[in-house]
Amino acid sequence: MNTQTNPQQIAIAGAGLLGRLLAWRLRLLGHDITLFDAGKLQPAGNAVRAAAFTAAGMIAPLSEAVVSDANVYRMGQFALQRWPEWLKDLPHSETELFFAKGSLLVAHPQDESELQQFESELNFVVPECRNYQHLSNRDIRDLEPDLSPQFMRGLLLQEEGHLHNREFLQRLGDELIRQGVLIREDTPVETAPQTIHTGTGVEKFDLVIDCRGLGATTQLKKLRGVRGETLHVETSEIHLQRPVRLMHPRYQLYVVPKPNNRFIIGATQIESEDRSPVTLQSSLELGSALYTLSPAFAEARIIEMDTNLRPAFMDNLPKIFCKPGLIVANGLFRHGYLLAPAVVEQVLARVAQNPHILFPDLLQASVSG
Amino acid sequence: MSHATSTTPARDFTLYGETFSSRFLLGTALYSSPQLMRDSITQSRCEIVTLGLRRQNPANRDGDAIWQYIQESGCRLLPNTAGCKSVKEAVTLAEMSREIFNTDWIKLEVVGDDYNLQPDPFGLVEASDILIKKGFKVLPYCTDDLILCKRLLDVGCEVLMPWGAPIGTGQGLLNRYSLRSLRERIKDVPMIIDAGLGAPSQAAEAMEMGFDGILLNTAVAKAHNPPLMAEAFADAIDAGRKAFKAGLMQKRQTANPSTPTVGQPFWHQQ
Repeated sequence: MNTQTNPQQIAIAGAGLLGRLLAWRLRLLGHDITLFDAGKLQPAGNAVRAAAFTAAGMIAPLSEAVVSDANVYRMGQFALQRWPEWLKDLPHSETELFFAKGSLLVAHPQDESELQQFESELNFVVPECRNYQHLSNRDIRDLEPDLSPQFMRGLLLQEEGHLHNREFLQRLGDELIRQGVLIREDTPVETAPQTIHTGTGVEKFDLVIDCRGLGATTQLKKLRGVRGETLHVETSEIHLQRPVRLMHPRYQLYVVPKPNNRFIIGATQIESEDRSPVTLQSSLELGSALYTLSPAFAEARIIEMDTNLRPAFMDNLPKIFCKPGLIVANGLFRHGYLLAPAVVEQVLARVAQNPHILFPDLLQASVSG
Repeated sequence: MSHATSTTPARDFTLYGETFSSRFLLGTALYSSPQLMRDSITQSRCEIVTLGLRRQNPANRDGDAIWQYIQESGCRLLPNTAGCKSVKEAVTLAEMSREIFNTDWIKLEVVGDDYNLQPDPFGLVEASDILIKKGFKVLPYCTDDLILCKRLLDVGCEVLMPWGAPIGTGQGLLNRYSLRSLRERIKDVPMIIDAGLGAPSQAAEAMEMGFDGILLNTAVAKAHNPPLMAEAFADAIDAGRKAFKAGLMQKRQTANPSTPTVGQPFWHQQ
């Protein structure tokens, strides 16, 4: 552990992805950390839990830049470097967590214009990007032999990766306990400079970091939830090396390989704060996308259907608000694992009172959202 | 003859007794963020925006955050029944929309085909009939079929919204002949070209043909720069309207010089 010359008493509100990462990195710097969460550190599947548990763990700077902007690409490139460095600080395990094998984009033969639209948008948003490759039917079969042979064209985005996110969240939770972070489960809080309000009292700290996601809507008025739905399936008949995205005129769905012959197919994106179970319409869309990618998925077992809300500001980009004694970081939207490294490093720089601004677009002047 | 050259467009676009100066109606789906959607609405200068709530669990009002944000644009809201495949679904959703947004206007869509979202003409007439009897002001998304349009007028629609091409295709005016004859046969009812346009030139062409307005979504939302594309469409719609009012010249079979070629000997002039 690096020792900090002046260790601080820091409270972190919210044990989602940002909260865990910040608790970990700040503890490694020698600070005393108390991590509050309204639920459990290892929540049950049916509990209201952080969006990070529902995410598929793609780290896709190019695909996501196309639906947002060039800053997302820049922060995503940073993430591709930062994740493997960070993961070296976790105790060794047999299961690999991070993969940099790129991702594959395919479309139904009748929807091939979607690939052209994607490429045209990519060239517009990230003109300097050359790290992608046109694929023929043969190339696709060489890369992913288990995919359906019907795909005549595709794109390989080399500069993308994926993470086994649920395994990571669990191992990081264990590591926080091992490192002596004080975990306060089942404790919903409100935050103020140097202050945590629990249901039963007021607690003082040198610094409070609020990353409660949608738990912070009472304090961040323009924060909203965007519904996403996923299916988890299990089959030993198919092996994929990398995430595969199916382009369609009305939705883009991806399948991401997970440990133990599992796959996540996701995700819908619906402007609604509805946490109720997956709709039949969505399950049909998700299921038929999976079946399109390979008919062998037909006999896969559906082991989970998950719904959650992504915390987002109206521009769908994350923000950091700073005032003395309080830092608020929120709004990762659908880019949790992609943008968390940039957000975390920018918060760490603030905590260290390092004037260097890594990502100026993240920093906001006032806590208005 | 007066030559009006005022830069502010006339407030002469009337739908169900309400007048508007903009002839551009914009959809609120498919933008990469709500903020980009709002910026596009501003640049489009439109006064009516459509929004769909089928998948947002409207019975529970779970889409409130985004609906409020759209309402803050100050535009008149035109809820739609996008995604409804049966008359019953469309009617139920229209009633829910009326309650949530306190408006009896409804852009009626009854989807007949899942892949290209082509309207179901039979369901559309039936749903229009039911909704008009319930007091709704129905703006039906229909095909360019004359008989369908007449049936919609028979049940009480006061606006028609024929397609240019299937939703989201950006193909432009696929059947000029039938759109032109529709306009010639139905002169006194406002007709808005809804769906299928991809380029501002196509919107201008529809306006030059005498259509009263344009409704679109994908062409703006999927542009690289949606607010700029919204402005481009707004300008094209204004230009097309002005051209229609000014009266286009007739096309001719041969290229005629527009000024007499005085300097040429007459035996060289055909």
